Amino acid sequence: MMLSRAKPAVGGEPPQTNKRKKKGRKIPKLEELLSQRDFTGALTLLEFKRHVGEQEEDTNLWIGYCAFHLGDYKRALEEYENATKEENCNPEVWVNLACTYFFLGMYQQAEAAGFKAPKSRLQNRLLFHLAHKFNDEKKLMNFHQNLQDITEDQLSLASIHYMRSHYQEAIDIYKRILLDNREYLALNVYVALCYYKLDYYDVSQEVLAVYLQQIPDSTIALNLKACNHFRLYNGKAAETELKSLMDSAPSSFEFAKELIKHNLVVFRGGEGALQVLPPLVDVIPEARLNLVIYYLRQDDVQEAYNLIKDLEPTTPQEYILKGVVNAALGQEMGSRDHMKIAQQFFQLVGGSASECDTIPGRQCMASCFFLLKQFDDVLIYLNSFKSYFYNDDIFNFNYAQAKAATGNTSEGEEVFLLIQNEKLKNDYIYLSWLARCYIMNKKPRLAWELYLKMETSGESFSLLQLIANDCYKMGQFYYSAKAFDVLERLDPNPEYWEGKRGACVGIFQMILAGREPKETLREVLHLLRSTGNTQVEYIIRIMKKWAKENRVPV
Amino acid sequence: MADNCSDEFEKENNKEKKTSQLTPQRGFHENDDDDDDDDDDDSSETDSEEDDDDEEHGAPLEGAYDPADYEHLPVSAEIKELFQYISRYTPQLIDLDHKLKPFIPDFIPAVGDIDAFLKVPRPDGKPDNLGLLVLDEPSTKQSDPTVLSLWLTENSKQHNITQHMKVKSLEDAEKNPKAIDTWIESISELHRSKPPATVHYTRPMPDIDTLMQEWSPEFEALLGKVSLPTAEMDCSLAEYIDMICAILDIPVYRSRIQSLHLLFSLYSEFKNSQHFKALAEGKKVFTPPSSSTFQVGEAEALTLS
Repeated sequence: MMLSRAKPAVGGEPPQTNKRKKKGRKIPKLEELLSQRDFTGALTLLEFKRHVGEQEEDTNLWIGYCAFHLGDYKRALEEYENATKEENCNPEVWVNLACTYFFLGMYQQAEAAGFKAPKSRLQNRLLFHLAHKFNDEKKLMNFHQNLQDITEDQLSLASIHYMRSHYQEAIDIYKRILLDNREYLALNVYVALCYYKLDYYDVSQEVLAVYLQQIPDSTIALNLKACNHFRLYNGKAAETELKSLMDSAPSSFEFAKELIKHNLVVFRGGEGALQVLPPLVDVIPEARLNLVIYYLRQDDVQEAYNLIKDLEPTTPQEYILKGVVNAALGQEMGSRDHMKIAQQFFQLVGGSASECDTIPGRQCMASCFFLLKQFDDVLIYLNSFKSYFYNDDIFNFNYAQAKAATGNTSEGEEVFLLIQNEKLKNDYIYLSWLARCYIMNKKPRLAWELYLKMETSGESFSLLQLIANDCYKMGQFYYSAKAFDVLERLDPNPEYWEGKRGACVGIFQMILAGREPKETLREVLHLLRSTGNTQVEYIIRIMKKWAKENRVPV
Repeated sequence: MADNCSDEFEKENNKEKKTSQLTPQRGFHENDDDDDDDDDDDSSETDSEEDDDDEEHGAPLEGAYDPADYEHLPVSAEIKELFQYISRYTPQLIDLDHKLKPFIPDFIPAVGDIDAFLKVPRPDGKPDNLGLLVLDEPSTKQSDPTVLSLWLTENSKQHNITQHMKVKSLEDAEKNPKAIDTWIESISELHRSKPPATVHYTRPMPDIDTLMQEWSPEFEALLGKVSLPTAEMDCSLAEYIDMICAILDIPVYRSRIQSLHLLFSLYSEFKNSQHFKALAEGKKVFTPPSSSTFQVGEAEALTLS
């Protein structure tokens, strides 16, 4: 059912290099080079002509045109700026200059040049996009009204929809135009870009294939294909796609080079981020976000915060990232303000219609409730996507805490033990909660071993208190007594003596009840003797008396 | 006393109370000063639970120690009294912090923006269909500017214009054998198309220096009176060639091509010689034929500028 007419008039021809080899000295014509989109060749030809004085009319404009479409906007700017300085310069050049400024990110200059150009469709489109850049809604509406129902204007409008994340509106425009113009193959790529942004990676691939079938070496299309592979499969699959693109293009090919370098960092899980990404910040919008993600992964929360603090979030990704950075920083600094901001951003994304059913959206809701310490709600959300994160340490760290906090210590213990990351395993949150789970699950010895593995510190002291009291509560008096004994040595607080006294008597009671081996009594006496309190003798006397009566060696 | 006091009061006074308090399993909060937030939350929860029962607080602690379980033990009064010590200490309920490890998003690939149709049109106003039929992007097969320049120079028949050529360099060349191969291939292709630098004559020919020797004085004197035969002569081109070659001591064999090559080489030598430059009449520019197949017709490719 493919319409043969859909084959584009330009591009898709047999490779030109062979042709030239056979004919030997055949020198390409400008028109030929342009139809092959060999703008480098065209530019070389034009410059050569200029150099040998074979200049034709408008050579400078042709050079500008070629440089522009090659993506060498600086070169184009040079030509157009010179052209506007000439006397009797064609006023149309101003709009070309304005477009060039636009792509160089020089929006003020673009507007100034745009106003000098005579009224045209292109000029209106340019001013329309500038109004978007300047966030000037009023102007935007004005220029919007001037757009006509012609293809270029409609496509320009669609690209504004795309930039404002209104992907469905953009798709509607593209599909409408494609209906009457099947030969406009490039529109398929635009539709594929929209579907990519809507997370419909399969659909995106399908639409994209229509274009790649005709033009298999398109840089933009292959890059999008790689991105789809990244989302659908993994970084390795994506890198393979980019590799084929890099192999087919000569090393001097500058077009989209930055985009490819950027994406290689992404596909390789952040490898080379610090070399590649910083110069691309504010050139490629994702570069800043990825640098923030990189710093977060390196636990450099402050650096991440510095990069994102002035960013005004507009996309869900930006809201999420701002939330994450604020949550991390807020917990690190104990700042309630940051936590509050984080919680609000999480709620905003997680509650939005577009994100509420995505994994990132649910992560947001879970995070939001976690910060609010509503752990039953946290569990509802985490359970909804836990199958995707079985081996994810961060997920399990949060999941286990929520389990434990809601009293499900047996599952809490299980999940805590799935965590592999050494840093997380040495985090006091991990140690204390796992110790509590152990004790609640009647495995006080394992909790005690956690303590033994720790360096002496404020945290190990806290863990002792936890073990002493939790074990006491659970009637696991042996480990409670041991913990109180150490606490008492470290801090002669009478409270610890009381705890130890109660725990030692508790062990005695357990021996009498047959729940502890009688031999433990010897250790109990030993523990008691280490305290120089008058009550000790009284207690020991009663215990010894019992031991004697029951023939227990002490 | 302990039972009836408010939660807050309890928190403030827990240190003193503990000694006097004998109520079993009465939990209370340890007041962590760095965690006011927790306490707020917890106390509000506790407040509501307070209505039911104080024991409620220990409810989630399944399997907690209950002294009642051991009351039946047949022990002496002395030991029973000793057991009182167990309940005399009330274990603290230690609040543990929670820490959210935020879910760090995946790295985000960039796909670029969609063509906004803010593009310069062709100077001749013809539609280029860029962004419609094909994406507005250069194709991945771009000419190598250096190679193309060399081709253009080669074809322009002007050899004095190469001074502006950029010198191409390649970064990380060792990692890029493909680029080097391509370069070598395109340059050798260029060289193949050029005429060979030297021509090996199949039959003996005198060398240029011999041919450049002065004629005998008599001949020179004669030249002052008669001019050399011009192309206007009524003879065929072949006869004319034979004639000129004879005058210049260039042997002519079966084919005249090699003889003509020597003739033009001789001309070129004179023309480029500083010594004879002054003697040269006018400014004759000689362009060597760029084809390796030396056509007789092209022998007249002496261009006057």
